[in-house]
Amino acid sequence: MAPLQTVSRALARSATASRAPAATAVRAMSSTPALRDSSSSYQSPFKGESKTNVPDFSKYMSKGSGSTNALFSYFMVGTLGAISAAGAKSTIQQFLVNMSASADVLAMAKVEVDLAAIPEGKNVIIKWRGKPVFIRHRTAAEIDEANSINVASLRDPETDDQRVKKPEWLVMLGVCTHLGCVPIGEAGDFGGWFCPCHGSHYDISGRIRKGPAPLNLEIPAYDFSDDGKLVVG
Amino acid sequence: MATAIYNTLFRRNWTMLGAVFVGAFAFEIGYDNVMNKVWDNNNRGRQWKDIRHKYVEGGDDE
Repeated sequence: MAPLQTVSRALARSATASRAPAATAVRAMSSTPALRDSSSSYQSPFKGESKTNVPDFSKYMSKGSGSTNALFSYFMVGTLGAISAAGAKSTIQQFLVNMSASADVLAMAKVEVDLAAIPEGKNVIIKWRGKPVFIRHRTAAEIDEANSINVASLRDPETDDQRVKKPEWLVMLGVCTHLGCVPIGEAGDFGGWFCPCHGSHYDISGRIRKGPAPLNLEIPAYDFSDDGKLVVG
Repeated sequence: MATAIYNTLFRRNWTMLGAVFVGAFAFEIGYDNVMNKVWDNNNRGRQWKDIRHKYVEGGDDE
């Protein structure tokens, strides 16, 4: 590598050396004045000051010790950093809080149903987020019927346990999974729901048994509160 | 004293960063508290928590 560098350096040097007269030729043609004394060393534009005088900065020097000054400087830097970090965190947090659902929206998103008012073997339809929700208080016979079905033979295999939290309460979205009609309760070939639009039959667990619908009736998120109430949402 | 603080907190970058974050946390709590106090003081008598006892009898369980 070294010889190559030497060669290239020598080439570069010879190139500049040969170009020097050409540069003066260009200089001669130029109309702008040449820099005065461009060949000599730097001259201060301020006349009369032959020597470089360093001004006296002692007036501005800190009285404290070096370590105190360092501590103070870093303390100020750290304080600024801390305030900035708190501000940044607060900004981001407020944006995220702003994006989350407000209290009125959350209140609209939940529906409370008093289960004591629903007798055994009865359906109740409530409105939740603009959609009907079926609640059925199932009898023991209906629970047995829902459990006795061979799950493997179903189109959308789900056991009854997967679809209910308490076997006597069946809570599901009353929207047919075919094209979104509202099925009719206590109808159809399987004692459950029947969609009049295209003839889908759902059983007592809301599972599709016959007809064009591809999936079982959807189960919303719900919970039983302690005082015998059902909270959907 | 100054040297000791400097050496323990600011000498190493990670301790400095930790001090900054802890400081930010403490500062935020303090600042929020002070600002809440100022707000409550400015709006004394107008907030629900100030007039609640007039409308809700007993039972602080909401």
